[in-house]
Amino acid sequence: MSLKGGLRMRRQCILVGLLVLVGCIVGSVTFGQEKIELNFISWSYGVETVKDNIAKFEARYPNIKVNYSDFSWFDYHDIAVQRFISNTPTDVMYGSDHWLQEWAAAGWIVPLEDYFPEVVEYKKEFAPYAVEGMTFNGKLYGLPYYADMVVFLYNKEMLKKAGFENPPQTLDELIEQSKVLKEKGICKYPLALCFAKNEGQSIEIFTSLVYSFKDGNMFDADLNPLFGKDGGVYKALQFLYDALNTYQILDPSSLTWGEIDLVKSFGAGNHAFTFVNKYNLAELNNPAVTNLAGQFAMALFPGETHSCVGFVRFYCMTDMAVKRGKEVIDAAGKFINYFGGKTDGVYIVAKRWALEKGLGFAQLPLYDDPEVINAINQWGNVEIEKQQASLARAKQGMTPFYGTWDIFMREQIHKALLKEVSIEDALSASAKYWNDLKQKFQK
Amino acid sequence: MIVPALAFISLFTIYPLAYAVRTSLYEIVLTRPFLTPYVGAGNYREVFTSYYFWRSLLNSLIYAAMAVSSVVLVGLGVSFLLNCRLKISSLLRTLILFPWAIPFVVSGVIWKWIFNSSYGAFNGLLYTLGFIDSYVSWLSHPFYAKMCLAMAHLWKEMPFASILFLAGLQTIPQELYDASKVDGATSKDVLFKITLPLLKPVLLVVAIYETIVGLVTFDLVYVMTGGGPGDSTSLISWYTYAETFKFLNLGRGAALSIVLAGIILLMVMIYLRTIRIEEIY
Repeated sequence: MSLKGGLRMRRQCILVGLLVLVGCIVGSVTFGQEKIELNFISWSYGVETVKDNIAKFEARYPNIKVNYSDFSWFDYHDIAVQRFISNTPTDVMYGSDHWLQEWAAAGWIVPLEDYFPEVVEYKKEFAPYAVEGMTFNGKLYGLPYYADMVVFLYNKEMLKKAGFENPPQTLDELIEQSKVLKEKGICKYPLALCFAKNEGQSIEIFTSLVYSFKDGNMFDADLNPLFGKDGGVYKALQFLYDALNTYQILDPSSLTWGEIDLVKSFGAGNHAFTFVNKYNLAELNNPAVTNLAGQFAMALFPGETHSCVGFVRFYCMTDMAVKRGKEVIDAAGKFINYFGGKTDGVYIVAKRWALEKGLGFAQLPLYDDPEVINAINQWGNVEIEKQQASLARAKQGMTPFYGTWDIFMREQIHKALLKEVSIEDALSASAKYWNDLKQKFQK
Repeated sequence: MIVPALAFISLFTIYPLAYAVRTSLYEIVLTRPFLTPYVGAGNYREVFTSYYFWRSLLNSLIYAAMAVSSVVLVGLGVSFLLNCRLKISSLLRTLILFPWAIPFVVSGVIWKWIFNSSYGAFNGLLYTLGFIDSYVSWLSHPFYAKMCLAMAHLWKEMPFASILFLAGLQTIPQELYDASKVDGATSKDVLFKITLPLLKPVLLVVAIYETIVGLVTFDLVYVMTGGGPGDSTSLISWYTYAETFKFLNLGRGAALSIVLAGIILLMVMIYLRTIRIEEIY
């Protein structure tokens, strides 16, 4: 090889080497920007909407990738607990006010304000029952996915046929109207509920009935059960007993129905009255879903106080996310704020749920949004909804053992309704069990 | 030679059993993961004095009794029919296994719809035949709910029992029947003095198997009734699930499992003593 050829080859080698080096540097910079993976779980409602929201979130934050899984609502609590115990990667998730005590006390989920102090500012704009439902030991644990109420729905056409201009304002009026509906053959069982033993909503409906009585409370300030004969709990159970056995206006199938079964039967025009979560009204008045769309309406919860249970489901961050480090915490914070908080000054995800699915919300400014007002009025009545929201109360007795007691209480309610035990005995047993659990957990 | 097999068996049966027994001796509540004291028989004491144990034990025994008796009787009857020499016998013997092949969960959903108070086929059939004048909510009545569960269980388990009985029938020597004919035996004599005694080994297997299935049934109950109404269909298996996954008390859940295993063992020993297998050729 000549000297010139050798020099040329050397120059070519140096050039190739430089190119490779530059390529490595660029490659490491490009590929070194790894995406932060967030593991998110929810129950199976509006899964396509959730996935679309996730896609929009990822487009806004391209360095975050969300791994999403959904599970049946009926199994969600059990699956979530299994994930906590087995450390199955879960960073952000849906939570609920009735699990908050249990999960927070175990350290499975963490207070948001410890990591994102700015979230405290949101409290001013959330419904009070929702803030209460997301607070444990004085700290905020989530931002709302949705908040709703157990409301009173009725079939306008059936009432008109029976000669009633207005829905009942009290439980006594409900019984009287039901008797007329039954006598006139308009429906066999005017009242229906979702009181299956494994239906978690049943205790919320029962608590709403308790609240509807003047001074109706489940527990006092020291968490002592108020199950005596002159209290709201006794009166609520007496009302259900009379509805089922004395007047036979309550469908016995209510003891086997979950929410979906109830809504199907109510939507088919089998009943005139029900107590159920408000978001079902949007579905009932949707012409694409039922033939009787437009016949269903909401009224204030019948009773002395018109009060009812308000509940909140929220986005929360897990202890597992915290252990993964600052980057994941930061990503989780962005996720929770995007989904439950404001983006560009608007609660965009909560608003979407309200517009598209009729879900309730804890974010009170949305009631002033013309789009939301218009959407609600398509299937409901925003003024009645606002009025009911102002009267809604959070569930009482939220403790780590509430879930254990809830299952026992549901059994006792069933037994009283089925006349296996007296109302006094059912409530006495429930009170005793509550006190036993309270004593145990205080040790 | 037997070491690999022993190791496999130990890993998948002895170890889990030993771990369950160990768990049952500790107070393990998932919401208090750092507080797991040794309590000895404390979990067992709590289980036996709990509000649900004796009622659920009674429910489980009643359910198992209904399940075993119906499966044995109906299974035996169907096996006699399957034993007839027909052109479609092979096809029938295959088709009859379909319910048994369906998972309990799916079977539970099917029967829940069949017994539905608004659109169930069972109500439809009874209404059409004039037995009822309006649809009945079968699953909301404690007694009927148990019957419905038993019916669903029978539909699911009878095919397997009938195939076992059929296999037993086909091992009975034909000469015995021929000889009985010559001796002038009636059908009743043949059934009670030849067929049933020689089916005892199969009967023992079916009874033990169906008792175990009946006592540990969970998925059918979970799907069809959720343990309700009240606690009428809450079996021990349901409370084992509730203690572990609802109440998050692993210690008590494990204790319940061990108690259930003990009950099953006791039932098996009773069967072995009462159903004596003898050579009676």
